[in-house]
Amino acid sequence: MKQAVKIPLIAPDLKRVYTIFLLVVMVVFILSTAVTHFNGLTLFIHADSIWQFVSQDFLPPRLPKLSRLPGVLESVVVTLALAMSSTTIAAILAFLTALFGSEKISPFPRAAKFVRGFATFLRNIPTLVWAFILFSSLGIGTGVGFIALCITSFAFMVRAFVETMEDVSNDCVESLTAVGASFPQRVSQAIVPACLNGFIAWFLYCIEVNIRASTIVGMVGGGGVGMVLFSYIKTFRYDIACSIILLIALMVILVDRLTAILRRELLK
Amino acid sequence: MSESLANITFCQERQRTPKIPVKCKNRNKAVPIFLINCLILCVLSLLFLDIDWGKIGARIPDIGRVFWQLGHFNFEYMSVVLSALTDTICIAALSLLYSLVLGIFFGMCAARNVFKLPWLAAFTQAFFSFLRAVPTPIWVLLMLVCLGMGPEAGVAGLCVHTTAFFTKSFAQSFESIPNETIEALETTGTSRVNIFFNAVLPAALSQIMAWCGMRLEINFSECAILGMVGAGGVGYVIATSLQGYDFGTAGVAITLVFLIAFGIERAFVAIKRRLS
Amino acid sequence: MSVILKFDDVSKQYAKGRLALKAVSFEINAGEFVSIIGPSGSGKTTLLRAVNQLIPITSGSVWLDGEEISRQKGAALRKQRRKIGMIFQNYNLVAQLSVMQNVLHGRLGYMSGINGVLGRYREEDKREALTLLEELGLKDFAYHRASDLSGGQKQRVGIARAIMQHPKLLLCDEPIASLDPSSAKVIMDLLKEMTAKRGIACMVNLHQLDAAINYSDRIIGLCQGSIVYNGSPKDLTENLIERIYGTSRENLMLGNKNEAGS
Repeated sequence: MKQAVKIPLIAPDLKRVYTIFLLVVMVVFILSTAVTHFNGLTLFIHADSIWQFVSQDFLPPRLPKLSRLPGVLESVVVTLALAMSSTTIAAILAFLTALFGSEKISPFPRAAKFVRGFATFLRNIPTLVWAFILFSSLGIGTGVGFIALCITSFAFMVRAFVETMEDVSNDCVESLTAVGASFPQRVSQAIVPACLNGFIAWFLYCIEVNIRASTIVGMVGGGGVGMVLFSYIKTFRYDIACSIILLIALMVILVDRLTAILRRELLK
Repeated sequence: MSESLANITFCQERQRTPKIPVKCKNRNKAVPIFLINCLILCVLSLLFLDIDWGKIGARIPDIGRVFWQLGHFNFEYMSVVLSALTDTICIAALSLLYSLVLGIFFGMCAARNVFKLPWLAAFTQAFFSFLRAVPTPIWVLLMLVCLGMGPEAGVAGLCVHTTAFFTKSFAQSFESIPNETIEALETTGTSRVNIFFNAVLPAALSQIMAWCGMRLEINFSECAILGMVGAGGVGYVIATSLQGYDFGTAGVAITLVFLIAFGIERAFVAIKRRLS
Repeated sequence: MSVILKFDDVSKQYAKGRLALKAVSFEINAGEFVSIIGPSGSGKTTLLRAVNQLIPITSGSVWLDGEEISRQKGAALRKQRRKIGMIFQNYNLVAQLSVMQNVLHGRLGYMSGINGVLGRYREEDKREALTLLEELGLKDFAYHRASDLSGGQKQRVGIARAIMQHPKLLLCDEPIASLDPSSAKVIMDLLKEMTAKRGIACMVNLHQLDAAINYSDRIIGLCQGSIVYNGSPKDLTENLIERIYGTSRENLMLGNKNEAGS
């Protein structure tokens, strides 16, 4: 008996797409492995040292000295306040900017491209890089962390708000233009009511992102709980660091829960 | 409704009209409350943070100076920057691929409709939501302590967070598959694992691709900053050259990071437009 | 009869080079009900939106009520636009707001300053809106969200919003294209009745030839951006229909075949 030809299950051109895609993934995988000399087994090879670290240095978590405790808790509040204030300020600025970022809505359609381009520039440089640039010009401190967080969340929300507005309000903006309404009237009577839910959803998402980001900005000098954690890690107090990591996780989970509840209540 | 209208006609007769309402009866009253509370919280936070705006304002011109200096590109250390950048890209890609495999596996465990074991799903989801709650750079820092300096710590640290992210989002995608599809295969006597690989996974494939694209963007920018907390890659170059006042090199590195991030974003916008 | 709208040699060329309107000239008298028919892509929508300059024209001039609207900009243009009501195929209501608010949007062109922005309408306007809603059979829905209404109801809100403007001219862009036949009839009847009562001229883009023939005082047939017919529905012969649509009448799906054409 001759060897039977394999009967294909999917269309040949689709299969070619899959094959090419898989090949590309394999090539990327092999190249990256060659460059970084990372192999998946590293973790198993180092398993004993990891275990040693986890069991001896990291666990069990220990609380910092009692006298330091209020300071640690205050730093958590600093991180939360940093995220809250920077996101809100950024949202207000982003709303005002986004109005000029869409050709269909902006009173100056020609400038819309520049507004979006500016936001793209700000957005594609990571928060921490902004933080470093600002630290080297403004010095280290909470205020600078605040500005760095503001910049990226502002840029992110400009993009998100522009997209929301273009999705939702094109039709009703047109009808209000036909009525003879002025730009502020179109904004308050059509864009805001039609897009508010979308704006709130993005705002809540940004809060979640910024809670994490403000912890990180803190680590490099923005203050807050990130800075406290970094100082313990630098002084090899891993057991205390462990309890602070748990504290951060708790904070983030609580905020995520809160935003989930708010989403359910506000966006029904 | 008719009551309010009756009220209005009544008022017209009396010539002194109270205001006729115009807004919806059953609108969501929580929204304005939320917005006002946000503003109040924002003001309180700013008061609490007690930022010295005067000092920052006085130094604002320095930002211009720094950007001016960043603009004077210094290509002397170009080879260092480029090799660091390649490292960064490779770390991002590797962590994405490893997490993809891990994410599909754990996502399978976390989805309630695959194994139909509630305790397994609940446990997996709880564990990974803890991992997800701790920001990536912290994981990288811990991995640095375990594994020493180098890309291993970067890949491993990024993997922790990415896997956690994928587990949650993949589980969501798996659960959005209609139950009837699974039932249809169940009745033929197919095993759970076979159902997963032949029905659930293919059906969720396009969503998985979308999540991957989104995560690649995040991973690249995460990866670019990992160096700043001590791991290798382009972030390390940016951080050290900024701290050493070598703005020219930092400018080159930041521009490259921007260009690549921008390229990834554009590519995915184009793909999305093509698909829709 | 006084001329309310005059198109003089109007052309529109889009950025991609497509010529949507080719030297179109016509006049509309006060109180007239005019249908514009033609196949998809013949320039009906462009023509309608050129009236209130939602789409700026390339050459020629549009005269509304003795003023050249195609030259006006900013506040002057807004002042002209409030004389023109507009009804859309997709209703274009703000879904999150109440029916009342949507109807009162018709008054925004007359309001200036902070009152318009905050939506503080005058009591007379509100009372008028309520009477109008009652006339349209929507008084029970005045405080519902616009998104909760059915298609026909939404279009009635659209009519109310346009009437609130006290317009001299009403533009209707495919007002019944998204509606089922019975709601479509209600809407066409309402349009005819409300505009006749108030002496408002009405320009309607229609895909439905039978509706155009039944309701209009005059029909304008558009084909590839040029007017090929401009006259009474009675004189619209089979030949002319063929010239407008580029195909014979048998190939057109018509609901109600009356003999107006022959």
